[in-house]
Amino acid sequence: MELDFLATVLLSSLSSASILLIATIGLAVVFGLMGVINLAHGEFLMIGAYTALTVTQAGVPYILSIPVAVAVTMAIGAIVEILIISRLYGRLFDTMLATWGLSIVFYQLAVLIFGTVTPGIGMPQYNITIGDYNLAGYPLLMIVVAAAMLFFVFALMTKSVYGMKARASIQMPQMAQAIGIESSRVNTLTFAVGCGLAGFAGAVLLPIVPATPSMGFAFVIKAFLTVVVAGPVTLTGSAITALGLGGGASVTASFMTSVVGDVFFFLITALLLWLYPMGISAKWRRKL
Amino acid sequence: MKKHLTSSVIALASAMSASAAFAEIKVGAIFDLTGGLNIYGIQQDNALDLALDSINADGGLLGEQIEVVSYDSQSELSKYTQYANTSVLRDGISAMFAGLTSSSREAIRPIFRRANIPYFYSSLYEGGACDRQTFVTGSSASQQLQPLIEWAIEEYGPRIYIMAPDYNFGTISAHWINEYAEQNGGEVVGEDFLALTVTDYAPTIQKIQQARPDFVVALPVGANQTGFLEQFAAAGLKDSIGVVSSNYGSGNQQVVVSPEAGEGLIASQGYFMQVDNPANAEFVEMWTAKYGDDTPIVSGAVDVWNAVHVWAAAVEEAGSAKPEAVIAALESGITFEAPNGTVTMEPSSHHLRQNIYIARGDDNHGFEIVETFEDVAPTYENEMCDLVANPDLAEHFTPETN
Repeated sequence: MELDFLATVLLSSLSSASILLIATIGLAVVFGLMGVINLAHGEFLMIGAYTALTVTQAGVPYILSIPVAVAVTMAIGAIVEILIISRLYGRLFDTMLATWGLSIVFYQLAVLIFGTVTPGIGMPQYNITIGDYNLAGYPLLMIVVAAAMLFFVFALMTKSVYGMKARASIQMPQMAQAIGIESSRVNTLTFAVGCGLAGFAGAVLLPIVPATPSMGFAFVIKAFLTVVVAGPVTLTGSAITALGLGGGASVTASFMTSVVGDVFFFLITALLLWLYPMGISAKWRRKL
Repeated sequence: MKKHLTSSVIALASAMSASAAFAEIKVGAIFDLTGGLNIYGIQQDNALDLALDSINADGGLLGEQIEVVSYDSQSELSKYTQYANTSVLRDGISAMFAGLTSSSREAIRPIFRRANIPYFYSSLYEGGACDRQTFVTGSSASQQLQPLIEWAIEEYGPRIYIMAPDYNFGTISAHWINEYAEQNGGEVVGEDFLALTVTDYAPTIQKIQQARPDFVVALPVGANQTGFLEQFAAAGLKDSIGVVSSNYGSGNQQVVVSPEAGEGLIASQGYFMQVDNPANAEFVEMWTAKYGDDTPIVSGAVDVWNAVHVWAAAVEEAGSAKPEAVIAALESGITFEAPNGTVTMEPSSHHLRQNIYIARGDDNHGFEIVETFEDVAPTYENEMCDLVANPDLAEHFTPETN
């Protein structure tokens, strides 16, 4: 096996894992801090992508459309939390059902508003060459983006006052309320942050994955499995799981076929859940 | 009094049955107007309405107006069988126009076969559907790929890489690509079959570079797989490796794909909106007057338009809309001046002999036609499926796939 092929496989697998992680972090935050599995996560990603697309088409540079997408998805996330999620705390399956229904509504709304085909914005035509192989530049940039996102969320949750309140309200809700933390407002914000992260993912991945009403479906299953395999230490767990599952699947696909890559992903997921029913991080001593 | 009542009931009943005898001709339609497949289904249904409007405006068929009973299958297979049964048992239809995916066609084909009602399937597909009640107006995989592979080997060179979806459309298409490559002195140097949910094509793109093909036959299905074209272009491979496809554009992918990635892509289909002939000019004008010109017309819409007109021609010829007479007329070699050129219903295989166009994507989400292969026969279907000699055939022929 040539060295240049190996190097490109390694780099692109790392970028595949990063893309999975970018799509997953929002889900991990909401699940880890609120115990809510948001099955409409993929649709928030889709809303982020369409927002970025619409803003870009209005003439705003693409890079500035990303914060707009985050703001819009955070706002919608906050509304959803107040109207639906806040009424269903502690009822895991009910929230799953409610958010699944929500995802269908969002999907059909997108069809009604944007139709079934909308022009994409394309990828920056920049690429790097390693030996005989070319690699698109933009997916490689996602490695940096994923690392930055991880760092940001970690800092937000451990260093900011909001992060401490959020963790306090989920770990010891009564104590948190007793010392004056308004946990319902904190929860609204946490859910909004999770949705905002999904919106960011949709916007930043827009050049790679064109905005379509059904784009959420492609992400939500793998993102969901990543979070479940990760277990209670959601952030670190998700990062490691995304790297292992996403990267592993991509390496497998490079040497064999894409189908084998998918088989690898789901087989290892099943194996890990058999070995660690509560997720790989069940016995870790870290909290995030 | 009682006698009076009875006679009036009889009068009423006979009046009703008399009006039923003079009722309009009814046809059925089942398309995906909502859900993931409505990208095709809405245009198919629009084409059906437009075709019926145009026939009704010209005085209808045999002096009667045609009425349509439409159903929205919501991109779900179970809805197809449910509505197919309803339309046969309750609506009393004379013909059915329905379906996009092969699975939907296979789900409802037996229902119309049992009811002996002509059923028109209007979409490009993998080929091989064969029974006496089924008529296919879309092009089959072999019909499209034969001219495309021949053209591409001449244009780019003999080394071929196949990127196809991992189900029967993809694997059967790959079979034909292998076969036509061999016939034209080409060689398939690699194949990758992909799940419909794949969004990251880096592994495929590496394997393509490793195999060093002259061109890639890309058959992306669905929005996720069009991402392949973006990633291929962004990796800077488009200048050295050609990309050809038998389904690119069938769902207006050229609108989604960015101009940088779409320019120079080669597509082959039975219809492009850019086809230049009087029938198409008239068709496009009628279409845009009714539905606007926001989205380009896809080949599936013209396949439905052709299906309705071929059926109407058969009704005229039979002098009746009764299914048995219409099926016999449909097997008499009906031709129609279609937007995509003259088309002929092959009596033996119930597939449409039609032009296949090769078009190149431009830098403005459109196509320009570079070559027209006239009057291409559905060779494989004609070879396997002779319904004139064997009216009892009910098969779905598939070539030996490896």
